[in-house]
Amino acid sequence: MIGEGIRKGLRILPIVDKEVRQLLRDPKTILMVLLMPITVTILFGYGYGGKGAGEFPITVVDLDGRDGSFKFIQELKNSRMFRIKAIYKSKGEGFASVYSGKVYASLVIPKSFTEDLILGRPTRVELYYDASNPNTAQLVMQAVGVVTQKYQEWAAEKFGTFAIRPMFYTVYGPHVSKVENFTPTLMALILQMVPTSLISVSICRERERGTFEQFIMTPVTVIDVIFGKLAAYFIATISDAVLSLFTAMLLFDIKLRGSFLNMFIVSTVFLINSLSMGLLISVFSRNQLQAYQASVFIFIPAMLFSGMLIPVDILSREAQIIAALIPMYYFMTAFRNVALKGWDLWMVTDQLVKMNIFTAVFLLLSMRFLRMEVT
Amino acid sequence: MTIASETVSLEFKETLAIEAKGLTKKFGNFIAVDHIDLEIKTGENFGLLGPNGAGKTTTIRMITGVIKPTEGIVRVFGIDVMRHRKRVLRLIGYMPQRFSLYEDLTVEENLRLYGRLQGLSGNLLEERISNSLDRFYLREFRSRLAGKLSGGTKQRLALAVALVHNPKLLILDEPTAGVDPPLRRMFWEHFRELNKEGKTILVTTHYMDEAENCDRLALMNRGKIIAMGTPKEIKRKAMGGDLIELSVDGEIVPENLPGVISVHEISDERIVLVVDDASLRLPDIVKAVESSGGKVRMAAPVHVSLEEAFIKFMGE
Ligand SMILES: Nc1ncnc2c1ncn2[C@@H]1O[C@H](COP(=O)(O)OP(=O)(O)OP(=O)(O)O)[C@@H](O)[C@H]1O
Ligand SMILES: [Mg+2]
Repeated sequence: MIGEGIRKGLRILPIVDKEVRQLLRDPKTILMVLLMPITVTILFGYGYGGKGAGEFPITVVDLDGRDGSFKFIQELKNSRMFRIKAIYKSKGEGFASVYSGKVYASLVIPKSFTEDLILGRPTRVELYYDASNPNTAQLVMQAVGVVTQKYQEWAAEKFGTFAIRPMFYTVYGPHVSKVENFTPTLMALILQMVPTSLISVSICRERERGTFEQFIMTPVTVIDVIFGKLAAYFIATISDAVLSLFTAMLLFDIKLRGSFLNMFIVSTVFLINSLSMGLLISVFSRNQLQAYQASVFIFIPAMLFSGMLIPVDILSREAQIIAALIPMYYFMTAFRNVALKGWDLWMVTDQLVKMNIFTAVFLLLSMRFLRMEVT
Repeated sequence: MTIASETVSLEFKETLAIEAKGLTKKFGNFIAVDHIDLEIKTGENFGLLGPNGAGKTTTIRMITGVIKPTEGIVRVFGIDVMRHRKRVLRLIGYMPQRFSLYEDLTVEENLRLYGRLQGLSGNLLEERISNSLDRFYLREFRSRLAGKLSGGTKQRLALAVALVHNPKLLILDEPTAGVDPPLRRMFWEHFRELNKEGKTILVTTHYMDEAENCDRLALMNRGKIIAMGTPKEIKRKAMGGDLIELSVDGEIVPENLPGVISVHEISDERIVLVVDDASLRLPDIVKAVESSGGKVRMAAPVHVSLEEAFIKFMGE
């Protein structure tokens, strides 16, 4: 019995070995596993307001019109973070420029600005920003903060004032989310797309190429096939989890509150889930094209109902029921809590368990329906 | 208790390497293999012949269990392939018609993978790999990707992989397709050696000169076996008997000669007779002609090629 067990175990190893070799030799793997996370992360980073987004177009409403405000505008220009499209004399014009979407924000310098400075009174600048583009708004706010800070240093020397407070007002949309808020989306995207589409062709490719006919002439079982492939693709794609996390952190200065280990564990659980789903697709697909299509198709409901685009809380009851059937929803929730709120792992046990239940179901179905036959 | 009963059936069928009864495969409405019976003895070199689409590959796939028969049973060394496939697998070495090894693995990696999957390890595994590399002249290609090999080398590798676990039964689906004549000869020399080692071989081929080397043949057409036997028997069946060519001075009535079944061909110059057994009847016929006053200028058995027999059967 034990001997048989060992022999069984030994049959999985050659499969893992073979799959890993094949994966490493396939340029598609390198492309998907290495390039995709980096590319997607960078695209996201820039698209949603990364560091290097260049100058932000803004408008300025100068109600003061004296030395103090001229100097502030000069400082904005010097910062190279803003392109000042227009300087208005009324708040209404400033608002309009943001409403119309022409600029990201409009900065209002109040009427008594110079006077306040001279008299050493605390004063302020007001930023009206477009919250529909939350990450850009976030960066505009930061940039204004920096400029204000600099100006303050200059003003302090000259007038002895220390208090210029930037005030932020949303023009529309709810409260702004931070850049970091996109990390869960990013991770979900990468940890589902890459592993699922890679592994989804693994079995039907063997059928298409004819290699399955020789393969099933050996005493391999469905368990060997499913777990051998799962292990190999896990080894090949685990770098995705690390790579995406690092790219996000390094390139975009995203500061995640959670411990790296916790984020990694949550990502791993989801990665294995994606692989299992891909295997199930592979078991049911007739050819590679079909498998690819299925793995892309399955992504659509995941995107819609996992909270990636719209928070699940504000969806209809029916939609919430669908969300409950989508593993990515649990990942988004767990990862957000662990990464952004710094929760401990045990606090997301519920999501982890549910993801693993889905994984188990996918694997059991794969084993049940994998036919050790040629068609 | 089941073990005991299986042992009995094993002993009972011991001499049969492959036994198929009423084996049938339908693809939708199309019957690819139609109730065939097959008995292949241990140690035999059995050839399966037939035109394209006859159902040879389908038959073989049912014997190896990579497809399920619609009807009928197959036993390999007495073991039911459908019910105990795992036990059968260790006994079979299979070379599919289409090259089925991993083209993105090297020659050695393919050998190693299949050795390990068949349960070999350690020294034994290394030894087998090394032997295979030498035996099939693959050593110089050991680090080459299988996909980058020439057709003949691919076939050598496929044969090496089929043999890596030292199976008792070899099932080879067109092993010499796309292989040059010297290598074809080498393959068949190998098969003969393997037969000598006591291994059973089931092989398909479209080359009739190769089929002559088989102990027994089955001729398939449209899913049915239309003839079975030794090459000699097959030829006899195709012509209705053996052929004897006669050249005679004087009048004779060919139908009255001993052992004559029919007259195959007749002209002023020569007569070709169909007899039940050429070697047995030839002296009798010469005697009969001479005793009736004729003079035999020439009398010889006519060699019938398997190809002629094959075409004759197909024509019917
Ligand atoms: N999976 C399948 N689905 C449908 N029809 C099939 C399938 N496999 C084989 N056939 C059909 O069954 C018939 C027998 O095919 P098979 O491959 O067994 O012939 P074969 O004797 O091996 O021919 P060849 O000499 O060309 O290899 C053919 O008409 C083929 O088209
Ligand atoms: Mg064939």
